[in-house]
Amino acid sequence: MDNSTMIQQKIRDIAKDLLAKKTVDLVIGFGEGTLPLRVTPRFIRNPEKVDRLLWNSFCENNLATYLHKFSRFKLGLVVKGCDARSVIALSLEKRFQPGQIFMIGVPCQKMVDRKKVSRAVKGEILQAREEGDLLYVKGDGFEVSLKRNDFLYSSCQACTHRNPTRADVMVGDPVEELPLKETYHEAKEFEKMSSEERWKFFEKETSRCIRCYACREACPMCYCSECFVDSSNPKWIEKSFSPSDLQFYHMVRAYHQTGRCSGCGACERACPMEIRLAYLTQKLSQDVKELFEFETGMDSEAPPPLSTFEIADKQDFIK
Amino acid sequence: MVVQKATVETSDRMLRTLELSFLKEEDAKNFRFVPGQFCELSILGKGEAPFGIASSPTENGSLRFTINKAGLVTTALHHIEEGLEIGIRGPLGNGYPIELFKGKNLLVIGGGFAFTTLRSLVAYLLHPGNREKVKGITVIYGARTPGLLLYKDELAAWQERSDLKLVVTVDWGDKDWKGKVGLVPNVLEEVAPSSEDAYAVICGPPIMIKFTFPKLMALRFPYERIFTSLERRMKCGIGKCGRCNIGHFYVCKDGPVFSYAQLEKLPKDY
Amino acid sequence: MKRRLDKKDFRSFLQNLIETYDLFAPVKLAEGVSVYRKIDQPEEVDLTHPNPQKPAKDLFFPQSEEMLRYEKIGKHSQMASLDEVKRERVLFGARPCDIEAISIIEKVFVGKEYTDVYFLEKRKKTTIIGLGCNHPLSTCFCSSTGGGPFLRARSDLFFVDLGEAYLVELLTEKGLAFQKNPFLKEADPKDLALVKELEEKAFEKVSSSVPIDGIDKRLDLMAESSFWDRVHEGCIGCRVCTYLCPTCHCFDIVDEGDSQKGQRVRNWDSCLSPLYTLETSGHNPRTTGRERTRQRLMHKFNYFPKTFDQVACVGCGRCILYCPIHFDIRKAILWTSSARPKSF
Repeated sequence: MDNSTMIQQKIRDIAKDLLAKKTVDLVIGFGEGTLPLRVTPRFIRNPEKVDRLLWNSFCENNLATYLHKFSRFKLGLVVKGCDARSVIALSLEKRFQPGQIFMIGVPCQKMVDRKKVSRAVKGEILQAREEGDLLYVKGDGFEVSLKRNDFLYSSCQACTHRNPTRADVMVGDPVEELPLKETYHEAKEFEKMSSEERWKFFEKETSRCIRCYACREACPMCYCSECFVDSSNPKWIEKSFSPSDLQFYHMVRAYHQTGRCSGCGACERACPMEIRLAYLTQKLSQDVKELFEFETGMDSEAPPPLSTFEIADKQDFIK
Repeated sequence: MVVQKATVETSDRMLRTLELSFLKEEDAKNFRFVPGQFCELSILGKGEAPFGIASSPTENGSLRFTINKAGLVTTALHHIEEGLEIGIRGPLGNGYPIELFKGKNLLVIGGGFAFTTLRSLVAYLLHPGNREKVKGITVIYGARTPGLLLYKDELAAWQERSDLKLVVTVDWGDKDWKGKVGLVPNVLEEVAPSSEDAYAVICGPPIMIKFTFPKLMALRFPYERIFTSLERRMKCGIGKCGRCNIGHFYVCKDGPVFSYAQLEKLPKDY
Repeated sequence: MKRRLDKKDFRSFLQNLIETYDLFAPVKLAEGVSVYRKIDQPEEVDLTHPNPQKPAKDLFFPQSEEMLRYEKIGKHSQMASLDEVKRERVLFGARPCDIEAISIIEKVFVGKEYTDVYFLEKRKKTTIIGLGCNHPLSTCFCSSTGGGPFLRARSDLFFVDLGEAYLVELLTEKGLAFQKNPFLKEADPKDLALVKELEEKAFEKVSSSVPIDGIDKRLDLMAESSFWDRVHEGCIGCRVCTYLCPTCHCFDIVDEGDSQKGQRVRNWDSCLSPLYTLETSGHNPRTTGRERTRQRLMHKFNYFPKTFDQVACVGCGRCILYCPIHFDIRKAILWTSSARPKSF
C-alpha cells in the first residue's frame, strides 16, 4: 500500500476512535475538493463519516487557524510538522485550554505547489493522480508525468521540522529531517541582495497587494480581535492605496510574527496575487534563533522570547 | 451648515443637541423632509455618520440633531463650537408613514436617546394644522434616570397639553424626580392604550424593544400596525455601498422606518 | 458589422488606440497574476492568463477612489468633486462575464433616485472591447447564470481570436465609430465560419452547470437553515472571493487628511469582514461567520434577484479558483436544489 494511502487510513481510524469515544467533539482534517490538485478542510462530527477524510500532497492548509473559530469544542486536528508548531505556539499564548486539542500528527512528505504544477503544462489540468514520487496530470490534449519533488512549495523545500513531534499520536514513521541551517534558505537568498536590491524586491512584491488580508486570515497566529490595520483611533494606516501603507502593513505583520511563525507558508498560499511573503518571516525567525536560541513551537514549555521578560535578559543591544 | 447652538442634553454629557442652520437661503427653502428621515453629517477629516432629524418640518429654518458620543465622528460633533461649519447630506430615508396614521390613534413609545425622530414626529403632529390628522396621541417615553431624559423643556410643555397623553418614566428616580418610576414595558402595560384603530411607533435600545414587544402583542397590535426605525452602520446613505443591506432592503433607502410585518420576513440582521 | 484584424497589425492597432484614448488592458504583474491597467505601450498587454485576478469592475469602480477633496480657507471648507473623466477610455480584452458584471453593478449604482456619478461618468466615457473565450475553464459556469463564453451583449466591439487574426464585430454606435480604423480589414467568410465553430466548441466546453433557475425561491425557505452552519465552517473570512468577484460592489467611505485639508475616499469593502456591520456601540448584527457567509450568498442569489430579476453572479469561477480553502460556490448552489439540504 502506498504511504499516503496508509496514512490516510490511519487518520480515518484514529478519527473514528476519537469521535466514537467522545474524546473530541469534532475532527478537522482534509477532504476531497471539486478540482484536481485541491483539497478542502473537512469537519467530521460523526464517526461513520470519517471516510471523507483523505491525505495527499495537496493538504496544504494550516488547520490550526480553525482553533479560534472552534474554541468552544474539543478538537481533533490533522497536523503536519509546521501546523503542530503553530498549535504549540497558540497553547503558549493560552488560546485554548490544556487537553482541548488532540493532534493527529502526520510526518509530512512536503506539499506540492499546485500553482507551479498548473504553470508547467499548457492548458488546464482536468485530472491528476499521485503515485509515489510522480504526479500524473491530464488535460485537453496533454498527459504528462511530473516529479513531485520538482514542484514543492518554497516553504517545504528546506523544511527541517517535518515531523510533528509533539502530536498526541503520529500516523506514520518519522521522516528524515534536514539540518537546521538549511531551513532559512529564502532569508539567505534575500540577505545576498544589496540594500537597494532588497528594497526594490520588497517594493515590487508588495505593490501587487490588494489589501484583501487573506494572508492574515489564513495565518493561525493572526487572531487579534482588532487588527492594527483596522484601528481608526489611533489610525496607523489609511485604508486606501498608498504604496507606503501597503509596505507598512506587510512589514508590521511580519514583525508581529516574530518568534511566533512556524514557517507553514499559509500566508503565501492564500495570496491571490502570489506575493512572496515567507522570506520576511523567515528572516525574523532566523534572527530569533540566533539571538534567543528559540524556534517557534518546538517546546511546549519555553515561553516565546518576545512575549516575556526576565531580569536576566540580554541588554547588549541597548547602546 | 453652521452650528447655531449646541446644548448638552443629559447629565452624563454623552448627548449633545446641535441646532444647525443653512449657509445658503435657497438650501433652506429646498430642504423638505418628513419626520423619521435622517441626514448624514460630516466633519471633514473625521468622517460622516447618519443622524435622525430631531426637529420637525414645522420648525422652519434650522435643523436639530441629537448626537450620542460614541466614536470618531460623534466625538468631533461633540467638540465642535458654535459658529463653525458642518457638512450635511439629506434628507435621506423614508420617514414615518403619516398617511397611514390619518384618522387613527397613535401610540408612540420611545426609550433613551432613540427618542430623537419621535420628537420630530410628535412635534409635527402637535402643530396646528396637523393635529387633526390623527385622533388620539399617546406618548410613553422612558430613560434610565431623570438626568438622561432628552428635551426636558419640551416634555414639560407637552405635559401641559390636553391634546396628547404623555407619560414620562424613568427606571430609577432621584430625590428631585416627581414623575413616574417604572420600566417602559411595564408602563405600557399599565397605560394599556387600545389597539383598535391604532398604530404604534416604537424606537429604543434593543433590550427595551425585546421586553416591550410582547406587551404590544398582548394589547393586540398586529404586525402591520407597529413601526420602528432601524439602526445600522451606514456609509453612503443612498443604497449603493451595501453596508445597511438587510434582505432586499437597504435601511438607508427603503427604511429606516419599517413595519414589523416587513421585518418579520427579513433575516435577523439588525 | 464585421471586420478582421491581422495579428501582425495588432501592435499598431493598440498603438493607435493609445494615442487617442486611455487604453486599459490585461497586464501581467507576475507569473500567473494579471490585472487590468492603463497601458502606455502595446507590449504591456498580456492575454496569456485566461482571466485577470482583479476583474474589469476596477475600471468603473476602482478599488480606491478619491471622491472629493476639501480645503479649509478661513472659516469655510471648499470642496471639489472628482467625478470628471477627462479623456475617453477603451477597455480591451474583457471577457463576457466581466462585462456582464459591470451591467449588474450598474443596476445598483445608476438608480431612479440616486446615481453614482463616479461610476456613470466612467461608464459613459468607456468603449468596451470584449474578447470571446475560446477555451473556457472547468470552473466557468457563465451559461448557468444567463451568460456565455461568446456573449456579446454590452460590448461595443467584440474580438474573437482566430489564431492568425481577430474577427472584430462592431456592435454599437461606439463600436461603429471604428469602421474607418485603418487596421481593420474586410472579414472573410472563412473567418465567420471559424467564429461559429469556435463559439459552438466553447459552449460545449462550459460543462459546469449549476441549477441557478429558481434559486431565489429555494433560498427563501432556507434563511434559518442549518445549511449555513455547514457552509461557513471552512470559511476563514479571508475576503478573496469578494475582492476578485466581478459583481461584488460593497464599499467603505473614509476621510483622509485633517480638518484643514484632505480627501474623502471610497475603498472596496466586504460583507465578509467582521467590521462591516459593526456599530460604534459594539453591537454587531452579523456576529459570526455564519451570518456573513449567509449574507454573501443570499445577497447574490436571493436579495439581488428580488429587486433586479437577475442573480448577482456571472459564473466567472474566480471564487472557486482563488479560495484558499477551496470552497466551491457551485456545490453550495447544488445543495440548495436538494429536497433537504444535506451537510457537506
